[in-house]
Amino acid sequence: MTKLIQTVVDGLGVGSTYALLALGISLIFGVMHLVNFAHGELITVGAYTAYFFFLHGGSWWWMPIAIIGAAVLASVTMEFVAFRWVRNASPFTLLLTSFAIERLSHALWQIFVSPKQRAFPKPAWVFNQFRIGGVSFEVMDVVTIGVTIATLAITAMVFKRTMFGISVRAAAEDFDAARLMGTRANRVISGAFAFAGFLAGVAACLILMRTPAAEPSMGTDWLLKAVIAAVIGGLGSFTGAVVGGVVLGLLETLTRAYLPEVATGWDKFSTAVVFLVIAVFFVVRPDGIFKVSHAERV
Amino acid sequence: MLEVDDITTRYGAITALHGASLEVRAGELVALVGPNGAGKTTLLNTVAGLLRPATGSVRLDGDDVTGMEPASLVRRGLALVPEHRRIFKDLTVEENLRLGGTTASKADRKARLDEAAEVFPVLRAKWSTSAGFLSGGEAQQLAVARALMSNPRLLLLDEPTMGLAPTIVDVVFDLLARLREQGRTMLVVEQNATRILQLADRGYLLRTGNIVASGTGAELAADTSLFDTFIGGETSGSTS
Amino acid sequence: MGTILQRTLRSTLGSAVLMAAVAALAMVYTSGGGASRNSLIAEMLSNFILVLGIQVFIGNTGVLSFGHMAFAQIAAYATAVVAIPVLAKEKALPDIPFGLSDVELGAFGATVVAVAITVVVGALLGVAVCRARGLAPTMITLALLFVVEQLVKNWEELTRGAGGLSGIPIVKGTGWLYLGAFVALVVAAFFQEMRIGRFSVATREDELAAPALGIRIFTSRYAAWVVSIALTALGGSLRAQSLGSVNPKQFTMDAGILVLVMLVVGGMKTVSGAVLGTVLITAGNELFRQLGDPERLDIERFPDLFLGVAMLLVMVLRPDGLLGDRDLMGWLRRKMYRPAKAEPIKAEVGTRELTARDVEVHFGGFVALDGAGLTVRPGEVVGLIGPNGAGKTTLFNVITGLVDETAGAVRLGDDDISTDTPVGVARAGLARTFQNLRLFPGLSVRENVALTALVAARHRSHRVRPDIDLLLAEAGLTEWADRAAGTLDYGNQRRLELIRAAALAPEYLLLDEPTSGMSDTESLAMVDSVRKVAGLIGAGVLVIDHDLGFITRISDHIVVLNEGRVLAEGTPAEVRANPLVAEAYLGSQA
Repeated sequence: MTKLIQTVVDGLGVGSTYALLALGISLIFGVMHLVNFAHGELITVGAYTAYFFFLHGGSWWWMPIAIIGAAVLASVTMEFVAFRWVRNASPFTLLLTSFAIERLSHALWQIFVSPKQRAFPKPAWVFNQFRIGGVSFEVMDVVTIGVTIATLAITAMVFKRTMFGISVRAAAEDFDAARLMGTRANRVISGAFAFAGFLAGVAACLILMRTPAAEPSMGTDWLLKAVIAAVIGGLGSFTGAVVGGVVLGLLETLTRAYLPEVATGWDKFSTAVVFLVIAVFFVVRPDGIFKVSHAERV
Repeated sequence: MLEVDDITTRYGAITALHGASLEVRAGELVALVGPNGAGKTTLLNTVAGLLRPATGSVRLDGDDVTGMEPASLVRRGLALVPEHRRIFKDLTVEENLRLGGTTASKADRKARLDEAAEVFPVLRAKWSTSAGFLSGGEAQQLAVARALMSNPRLLLLDEPTMGLAPTIVDVVFDLLARLREQGRTMLVVEQNATRILQLADRGYLLRTGNIVASGTGAELAADTSLFDTFIGGETSGSTS
Repeated sequence: MGTILQRTLRSTLGSAVLMAAVAALAMVYTSGGGASRNSLIAEMLSNFILVLGIQVFIGNTGVLSFGHMAFAQIAAYATAVVAIPVLAKEKALPDIPFGLSDVELGAFGATVVAVAITVVVGALLGVAVCRARGLAPTMITLALLFVVEQLVKNWEELTRGAGGLSGIPIVKGTGWLYLGAFVALVVAAFFQEMRIGRFSVATREDELAAPALGIRIFTSRYAAWVVSIALTALGGSLRAQSLGSVNPKQFTMDAGILVLVMLVVGGMKTVSGAVLGTVLITAGNELFRQLGDPERLDIERFPDLFLGVAMLLVMVLRPDGLLGDRDLMGWLRRKMYRPAKAEPIKAEVGTRELTARDVEVHFGGFVALDGAGLTVRPGEVVGLIGPNGAGKTTLFNVITGLVDETAGAVRLGDDDISTDTPVGVARAGLARTFQNLRLFPGLSVRENVALTALVAARHRSHRVRPDIDLLLAEAGLTEWADRAAGTLDYGNQRRLELIRAAALAPEYLLLDEPTSGMSDTESLAMVDSVRKVAGLIGAGVLVIDHDLGFITRISDHIVVLNEGRVLAEGTPAEVRANPLVAEAYLGSQA
């Protein structure tokens, strides 16, 4: 029981980071049908921002603001520099464009900083633990879950209450109809990128507190998991993205924890098993958990 | 108020409008009728800025607004109730209405929301329901109410009675009549040609991308070319 | 098109020319000397095979796959475990399973075994990939990439984990790599000449029209998958034997992206594009590599920059790649084409009636069809009219198997076709067109028609099949036969869709708004076109149209639909005189 609780908390910790990233991916997909493989680069931008500021005497007290700000700026720039020019292209072209940006980002960090990892200090309390009723928890896990819940609450607020949020949801459903309401296409798309950047920035803070280092290709692994989470949930569905992220996180930690009990020596194959399960999932339910229908007239 | 001059609009290889022209004067209700595929929706969408005409011009209050973004046109006082209504089904009724007031100031938006709740009691009853759960008639009223949220001086309506039960069709026609009495300028595409021409000040008959007849509602309703165009007679004549 | 011999000749000849061009370039480059230049050419040639491998799947089906590198990896490791000499293997892999410790194959044997194993694995997994639609296949391949990566890293008894395996006997020289590349080139080119390859291209061009013309998406996609996996495996195996070692780093997502960039930059639709892309990106990469400073580990940075910029520029400026659909093989195909001298043979009128009875369709709470029905007799032209939302297209979709009816039955003669899929319905003898035009826009006008003729040759052989060039002439499209269908003007596109359906040699043509968007004179001309084409193939016609001038002229019988039910039917004159019809169209007086 103790093991189960700890595993679930661990899973929620990882899963909530996936969820924040997946939500950004789903949001962008909603407004422009782009599966943004460059989204993970926002984490990299955040990491190098932190590295840069720590070189000049940074502190974790205000670092999250810098990281989030950099991610927002990078996300909006990405749209302005690249995606704007292929906005009406096929989803295939859009996707490949995002690959190009991902490549470019890797190259630029390598050239202007270094291909090697650059580390910076972590907050002192990160790996502290505390116990409740015999179960020990990592402070960081609790912080991660708490921050994610707060961020999701803010997100829900923005999408439910503000004109911007309502416009984005409307544009995700029917872009032209939203334009007829007076919504400016450029503004709603830039706004969606900015918000996705904010979510990625928060995720980056959580990731960097645990592993305080910057590396040119660090965003890719997170990105791939987040894309899978977003598609598991159902691309374009905001609830789906969160559920998909949490499901993926739980799946990973639970497999890692319990697979060796099924058969000894299997623990090293846990990741393989997770992705096999995901492959099977897509065979069974190709549109994800929350299907977003885009009816096509024949 | 609105002058459409000789516009041609294409979708890729398809030319849906071949040099159509029409005019709507302040305070008028103008009907645009014609068989399906004649280009009526294309014309409204071109005026509203969703489509860019290949040639020709659209003028609003004397200003050339050809190819302008819909958002700018809404700010200039034009609103379109699109074909199939296209209400946002994932949004609540209230959110749909608020979106309609995107261009209004916060205070105006609030005032018009209250007004909409008063004018459309069916909507008030479902204020916080997802619009996807509305019936066809309710959805149509929402679509009109949503467009009115920007307080447009020129309202374009595309097939407002499509797919509605006969009693609900009456409700929509009553609504049109009421808007007209309030002095709202309107350009209406409607499949129920007989009825809209009774209500309209003037009408245009569109066929395969061309205006083939125009006149007052009564004139056009009496014109044999109307019947022929719809029911498939010989090539139509024209009345002016 | 053409006989087997012609097709083989064409793909071999075209491949030889392309290969010779690449070899000449390589020769010029390596004549400068240096072992590094030779190894660059070796690397390029193994990439060349991998690019052609993914071209066969991604290029022909339009489905993005991330998983191909996983199969290259499987092949490379399979090569290693069967080719590494027994003594070396004992040291590196003491616990190797499956009795592999005693296996030691030569280069050829190892390649064959590795490709065979990979193809078997790929064929199994491909069932899942090719059944899925939308983004799911891409996601499945992405997940498979991770699965294989994890297996390779962790199944240490077989793979020695992250360190990789070395000691694979190296095959000297580049001659055998050229041979492998040439084989891959011929296979990829010939695949596009094959019926199944052309079908997979059709599914890429339009996922809805292809089944409606009798092309099964799964079958053609799966064939492309298997061939593509075989080539990818060849590339992986040869790379392992060229380097003498394998490790997980050779087959990461990054390596996959490099190959993908090569394909999309050149143009993924054609073999020529794949070749051009490989050469350009290899050259560009090398050029930029030399800008770097080996002391500062710059070596990897500038190529990445080049890749990113190249891809971004191509996506923004030429999303179809540098070559688009221009292709040496396609050029040869046009040059070698000789129309058969065909006399118009009129097909006998069919014998089976098409009937739909008491059809009901409910979408959620909405009733689209409420007991509608109709009968079309052999050779007859029936017009289906009614106001917007009356359910005309829904009835069409029910008949052609796109929409499942809630109640009712559709029959062709004595056969119940209610539960048939669109593919089954098409093969049974109903060919349809679409309201909003669904041609294969990137394919030539002739290929659009030839594709359905191919289906007809297999499934409609009991009927007299119309000659392709005769149909093209009938529609006045002979002059445009080699142009991409998407570049035709609207009237011609409509006529092309008509003859494309006719090439199926169907018993009934179902035309959904064949004149929408046409001018009056064009509509009038369409009356003759439809009657002539239908007469030629002996088909009955069921036609929806809003242009009632057209409908009254063309129809023997008219059915009027309103609110999901049949409101009236009869001869054009009867329907025209019916006051109910006038009211349905013009509206009541309130």
